[in-house]
Amino acid sequence: MTRIFLNGREIEVAADTTVLRAALDNGVYVPYFCWHPRLSVAGNCRICMVEVEGKGLDIACNMPVSEGMKVLTDSDEVRAARKAMMQFLTLNHPVDCGICDKAGECTLQDYHFAYNGAPSISAEPKVRATKFHDLGDRILIDNERCIVCSRCVRFTHEVSRSKALGIQGRGDTSLVRCEEGRRFDDPYSDNVIDLCPVGALLSRSFLYKARVWFLEATPSVCPGCARGCAIRIWHLRADRRLQRLDPRRNLEIARVTPLDDPAVNGPWICNKGRDLAAIFERPRADQAMLRGRPVPLAEAISEARRLVDGAKRRTALVSSWGSDGELAAFRDHLAARFDVRVKPDHVPQPGEIVEDDILIRADKNPNTRGARALFGERPVAFEPGTDLVLVWGEGFDYSRVPAGAKVVLLGSYLAPENGAADVFLPISVQTERDGSYTNSDGIARRFEACFPPGETIAHAADLFAAIGGRP
Amino acid sequence: MRAFEKRLQSFEVTETSHTLAAYRSRGGYGALAKALRSMKPADVTKEVYDSGIQGRGGAAFPMGRKWQVVKPDDGLEHFLCANADEGEPGTFKDRWILENAPHLLLEAMAIACYAIGAHHCFIYMRGEFDLSRRRVEGALEEAYGAGLLGERILGTPFSCHVVLVRGAGAYVCGEASGLLSSVEGKKGYPRNRPPRLTVRGLFQKPTVINNVETLSNIPWIIDHGAAAYRALGTPKSPGTRLVSISGHVVRPGVYEIPFGTPLDEFIYEDCGGVTGGRALKAVVPGGISTKVLVAKEIAGLPMDHASLDAAGSSLGSGGMIVIAEGTCMVRLLQVMLRFYHHESCGQCTPCREGTGWMHRIVDRIAAGRGAAGDIDRLIHVSHFNDGTTICGLGDAAGYATVGILDKFRDEFEHFMAHGRSRCGGSLA
Ligand code: SF4
Ligand code: SF4
Ligand code: SF4
Ligand code: FES
Repeated sequence: MTRIFLNGREIEVAADTTVLRAALDNGVYVPYFCWHPRLSVAGNCRICMVEVEGKGLDIACNMPVSEGMKVLTDSDEVRAARKAMMQFLTLNHPVDCGICDKAGECTLQDYHFAYNGAPSISAEPKVRATKFHDLGDRILIDNERCIVCSRCVRFTHEVSRSKALGIQGRGDTSLVRCEEGRRFDDPYSDNVIDLCPVGALLSRSFLYKARVWFLEATPSVCPGCARGCAIRIWHLRADRRLQRLDPRRNLEIARVTPLDDPAVNGPWICNKGRDLAAIFERPRADQAMLRGRPVPLAEAISEARRLVDGAKRRTALVSSWGSDGELAAFRDHLAARFDVRVKPDHVPQPGEIVEDDILIRADKNPNTRGARALFGERPVAFEPGTDLVLVWGEGFDYSRVPAGAKVVLLGSYLAPENGAADVFLPISVQTERDGSYTNSDGIARRFEACFPPGETIAHAADLFAAIGGRP
Repeated sequence: MRAFEKRLQSFEVTETSHTLAAYRSRGGYGALAKALRSMKPADVTKEVYDSGIQGRGGAAFPMGRKWQVVKPDDGLEHFLCANADEGEPGTFKDRWILENAPHLLLEAMAIACYAIGAHHCFIYMRGEFDLSRRRVEGALEEAYGAGLLGERILGTPFSCHVVLVRGAGAYVCGEASGLLSSVEGKKGYPRNRPPRLTVRGLFQKPTVINNVETLSNIPWIIDHGAAAYRALGTPKSPGTRLVSISGHVVRPGVYEIPFGTPLDEFIYEDCGGVTGGRALKAVVPGGISTKVLVAKEIAGLPMDHASLDAAGSSLGSGGMIVIAEGTCMVRLLQVMLRFYHHESCGQCTPCREGTGWMHRIVDRIAAGRGAAGDIDRLIHVSHFNDGTTICGLGDAAGYATVGILDKFRDEFEHFMAHGRSRCGGSLA
């Protein structure tokens, strides 16, 4: 441990830490742009200047602590230097916050109010740079807004390791760019959008879709693979719900961002997680049916119950997208009467990354581990004489149903099998319920509902109780 | 010229004076043999330390102290780099060595490697240097052929390999850490210190970076001893140094002079004075990153680090620029700032934005559109560029600007008030 004096207060900090970390960990905020806890120190933005008594100004993010050092984070000199850095940073910055996607979450904007707040003292016209340059299929860059903090570049060198980005040119004409002839097609590319302290890196899918202050985020878990990354699902704030305009927008996922979970994914997620809207917002099945004939939900439930009670050999294929709670409900109410097999709902799609050593796992289901903990690891198969198959979720090849067996299907999306099932029961999806998944490392993480389920849709856990409960 | 024994320019430059044969005939590689056969690495470092020699690249850091940080036997790999990326405007003295005495540099590097326990060293050379490249390449071939470099040099257990690396032409690649980034194959961005490069430099290994001229003094020091070296120059700045002089001077060129030589004596006696018989207006003493001195400040001013510091400037990289009366200082600052703006690597905020800002303000003044507050703005930007940047380029831009504004503010005010130069906008 090392003893330092932070604005006169004596504190003990780890010997191998920096002044910036020591300050942040001890409740003293030192502003920073280029520094990021998960990236190497670049020390280029120069906003984190502090004063060390007897040594003058230097950057805190690269300054190791030393015994007895006296650090001032808010002296007149520090304030003046910070203000000057803000002047430099905004010198050629367009400050078009009104239309900038980062407005409301922009560090530059926040720091300007906190540390400068004064009109520009420059009389020179701003240096123009390229607007909306195409870095890849997902990301554009507005070079005028870039403050050349190099976070995005370091991310592609140190985290995703694609080395896709670099900085071209020099001085105030420096441009973040892909290597010549390359595109930014890194499977983790979208992290740089969150990482960028300003609105320079823009998501094509989110650009001009919403002002962030009209949105709120619900903590959730990405179901894209067995890593189960912690995420935030962004959608319209409850008090901002639309009535007269297309109200379907109230139920849309505006964007997905990581939720920093050191034990699971750190501050990153892969691009598949960003695209969850496409997974969830498929045409929904919201009508209970008996062999394709629409019926009220209650009628379908009692028919399912009748079929289960009447069958002799029953097999259940449970969903590896089911939450821990739903799986437990199945165990409690139905499992005893079934030969239970855990079914993968999703398998790798053509072109999809199967697995890497960063986050992506080969198992494309979020709760295989939770399901197997309850129901074992046997592959999907049917014992001879099976006369009832209960299918929960997606991903099952119906040509495998034993001849003559009845099918009870619980699903969320429109699919041809729904109409062919003896009983079809529409169930809620992850974004409509609370629960948890247990990831491939055995770590359970909770998710919360963002949207209300439709009136004709049931939660799977309730259905299991209704079908299997004692009369 | 005052009589003294030259160390670097001790021979007549001819068609063949750069060759191994010529170098050997002058006693070349004797110091290497002496060091390898009769001295321990620590003895070499001690000799260098005792000589008091300071770096000739601009910062004037004592060479021996830099070497001492690297422990030859700490079990780590060490590197040496010769900084041959001479890019400070007005400075071209290292080129003289590269072109005329390449073996001197190679011998020096082998000795330096021996002292610091390095077996691989690099010459990082400015890409534009063509004759220098050819001469150094030729010298490398000769030295390897003669067993003066490579494995088991001169039959001793010591091995040393020298690699010539050519830069693509950026001022910051002459900054020690930017140079290393470039050698490593990365963009020539300077690095933050700590760690010091002698602790973690090239490929994260302890690395010594010395300027070409600095290194080139080593063989002489080993041959003649530290005391003999100290006999020339001043107590605090021992030895001789190369000065490249250009601008409005009758005999521009590269001169070797002892530290302490009076500046005006050097300009008027050694270099023939100001061209066209004009009066001297100012002198940039050591490359454009050093503060300009006006004529009356240089009278009798000894050229050594302490005296120049006391005069508010510095000896810098040894590139002296003579400025005759009639030169427009607004235009001069404009040219200087164009350089800094163009060469800012763009890594750190104040330099990236500040050099361009200063350049544009002065551009506007020089276009006759100066506005109230411009000078204060320039000083403001200079102030925050100085000392807040990663490397010295930002500092230098601010330093040079404030230097000119301090001494020639009236010229700027005149330009702003009348929309034109008091000196006809001339740089000639
Ligand atoms: S990046 Fe920040 S400061 Fe710049 S325009 Fe966008 S919101 Fe405004
Ligand atoms: S694009 Fe953003 S993250 Fe990348 S260097 Fe510019 S400001 Fe930094
Ligand atoms: S001071 Fe200038 S040249 Fe040096 S690192 Fe910063 S931007 Fe680059
Ligand atoms: S946060 Fe320290 S220099 Fe950028």
